[in-house]
Parts: sequence; C-alpha cells; structure tokens
Amino acid sequence: MDLLTTSVATVESGSEPYTLVKLVGEADVTNSDALREVLDAEVAKQPRTLIIDLSGLRFMDSSALHVILRANRAMDREGGVVALASPRDPVAKMLRLTAADQLIPVFPSVSEAIAG
Amino acid sequence: MYHTYRSDLSQVRALVLQHAREAGLTEGRANDLVLAVSEVAANTLRHTRSSGTLAIWHDAEEIICEIHDAGTITDPLVGRRKPAPGASGGHGLWLVRQVCDLVELTSDADGTTVRMHMTLRPPGTAG
Repeated sequence: MDLLTTSVATVESGSEPYTLVKLVGEADVTNSDALREVLDAEVAKQPRTLIIDLSGLRFMDSSALHVILRANRAMDREGGVVALASPRDPVAKMLRLTAADQLIPVFPSVSEAIAG
Repeated sequence: MYHTYRSDLSQVRALVLQHAREAGLTEGRANDLVLAVSEVAANTLRHTRSSGTLAIWHDAEEIICEIHDAGTITDPLVGRRKPAPGASGGHGLWLVRQVCDLVELTSDADGTTVRMHMTLRPPGTAG
C-alpha cells in the first residue's frame, strides 16, 4: 500500500463548485513530488475553491507543507482560494508552528471549509 | 536501539513513536519527537547520497534520538531563525528546534549529528 494516497473530486452541489483533494496516509519528502503533481494538475484547472481534506493524514512534514504553500500561491495569483480541512492534532500543530495557518485558512471540517 | 535508513522514513517514524511511548512520553510530545526526527532524517535524503543512522535511548529523565549522516551543515544558526510565513524552505530544522526540549547539532567534514532530547517529566508536571 502506498504511503500516501490522493483522491480528487469536483463537487458541483450548492451555489459554488469546488475541488476537493483528500489526502490519506503520510505525506513526507519521499512523496512530495507526487503530491505536487496532483495539486498542480488541479490548480491548472483554475477552480475558485480548492479544499484539501487532511482528516486521513497521519503525518505531514515540511516538504509536503511547501507543496501546499506553493499551490496556495498559485491559486492566489489566479484569484482562487485554498482551504485546509480537519487536520489531526500533529498536523494542526505543525501548521500553527510554521504560521502556515495564517496564510491558509484551516477549518475543523470540509463542510465548514465550504461555508468559508 | 540502532537503525539504518535510506529512504523509508515511515519506518523511522514508527520506531520513534514506539520508543517514545515505551519511554512514557505523552502522545502529543511523542508526535513532536516523531516530527523532529522525520525532518532531520528527511535532510539525509535531500542532502546526501548515503544512508543515515538513527539511535534511540532513554533513562529516567529523558529520551534521546540521534541522527547521523554524511551531510555537512555550514550555517551555525540553522533552524534558529523563524522562516517567513509561506517561505519555500527553512521550516524543517525550525520545527525541530520548536518541538524538542534540547537540540544538539554538530557538523564537520565527516558528517552531521543531530541529537534531539525530550524530557520525560517536564517541569510543572506531577511526579
């Protein structure tokens, strides 16, 4: 089984469609290139909102964080928004320590991220 | 406990978590130590072409994880400056210094050793 699996959905329900990327497993330097490819492909479609569901992520290191920050910059340039949803405690703590949570909003759940 | 790693950081993290729990670290601080060791071990993969070694031991006071690899760090203040939010690098060793109780870093032409300490009974806790 892969250390990190990603699944992507484009959700049309409600007033605003959004892209949901769900990460499951452990995100680190050994799979950050693969994560970058997944996020780059979605960012290139220029969605207005990209929500990254972190609920299944047991671990995230600074390499994965840099990939997410990079996607956030690219989305920002195109007028889009990235939101992070339901990080587990260790991931939430590293987002706080790196102040990444000041750049990218972090929500307790995907539904709250959709509501913005 | 000694462990040699080349690319399997998940195994490195599992070993640290297991030993941290056995030593009696709380779950939150065990996860802090896992993050710190994983960040240092990731530098082995980023900056060297050889394997690294992980050593873990503890006594009544603290648990220590030591990473050694063939890399050389020339910046004496590495990890001591807070990266700007959104910076595209520099978070790894910053995180290590934030979450560990003590970090000792020695580096020369022969390689780099990073020793990460976590106190088992932090000041202010019972016992």
